[in-house]
Amino acid sequence: MRQPFKAARAGIQVNLDTQEREILVQLLGQLDDLLDDGLGTSEDPLAAMVGMSGADPDAPGPTTPDDPALARLLPDGNRDDPEASAEYRRLTEYGLRARKRSGARMAAGALGRPEPVVLATDEALALMKSFTDVRLVLGERLELRTDEDADELHERLWAGEGDPSWLATASMYELLTAWQEHLIAAVARKH
Amino acid sequence: MTRASTEAFRTRGPTSTRSTPYSGGVSIAPVELEKPDSAQELARDVPWVTIVWNDPINTMSYVTYVFQSYFGYPRSKAEKLMRDVHEKGRAVVSTGSREEMERDTEAMHEFGLWATFRKDD
Repeated sequence: MRQPFKAARAGIQVNLDTQEREILVQLLGQLDDLLDDGLGTSEDPLAAMVGMSGADPDAPGPTTPDDPALARLLPDGNRDDPEASAEYRRLTEYGLRARKRSGARMAAGALGRPEPVVLATDEALALMKSFTDVRLVLGERLELRTDEDADELHERLWAGEGDPSWLATASMYELLTAWQEHLIAAVARKH
Repeated sequence: MTRASTEAFRTRGPTSTRSTPYSGGVSIAPVELEKPDSAQELARDVPWVTIVWNDPINTMSYVTYVFQSYFGYPRSKAEKLMRDVHEKGRAVVSTGSREEMERDTEAMHEFGLWATFRKDD
């Protein structure tokens, strides 16, 4: 079987065809958009680096996102103490969004290069994390809440049960899972 | 956690990135900003913990990879923690000050794992 990702001397060699890479670039763009909180990027480079928004420090901080997929990308930090959770979110959410978005853009940029596509280490790690984020979003849309749900999705997909839109999303989810597993294996071989 | 693990990586685990900040080479983490509660917590020397919770999306190999690469845990320890998360629903993956646990939680969130911090029981 063709290996979608292969450890090579120069980095991680990507053996996906143009169409497959285009699909990934599209999904990474959607991830980038989903994580856009509309606040823009901080103009203060130090603030941006440490993950602080340029917003008024006395303004109310961000709260748990309403969209469950976004809430899964940016989960609460503390289950017992709402105050600690709010403080954690105030200190980290802006930076997490920014790093997830810049990682998605880095991965998309690398996948958009002319063939042969070889990922540098930081690009491969960015893609690995972005695979996770895209799968978290798709998994939430597919209502995967338990390990049993994940098993059932696999079985239904192989049996071809479900409407076309569900089957399309579920098969994309499974394809991304497989690609991510290959990428993890390839990255581990490089170490 | 899902069992998608097809070909587990057999080589030595990657080196730790725990001390490395996430964006660039500067270690000014947001958790080091002013935090009124932290001095008291530290004074009482109460250990805090970072917990990773099971989820149906992250794969066993990815979770193991994260525990190895971020915490620098040997493969055996990373796999044991991964199995605890998978079978018991959660595992304490690190212990330390509140600031350290917030930093570890943030790193887990950056990797897409479902993590929380709290004062140890």
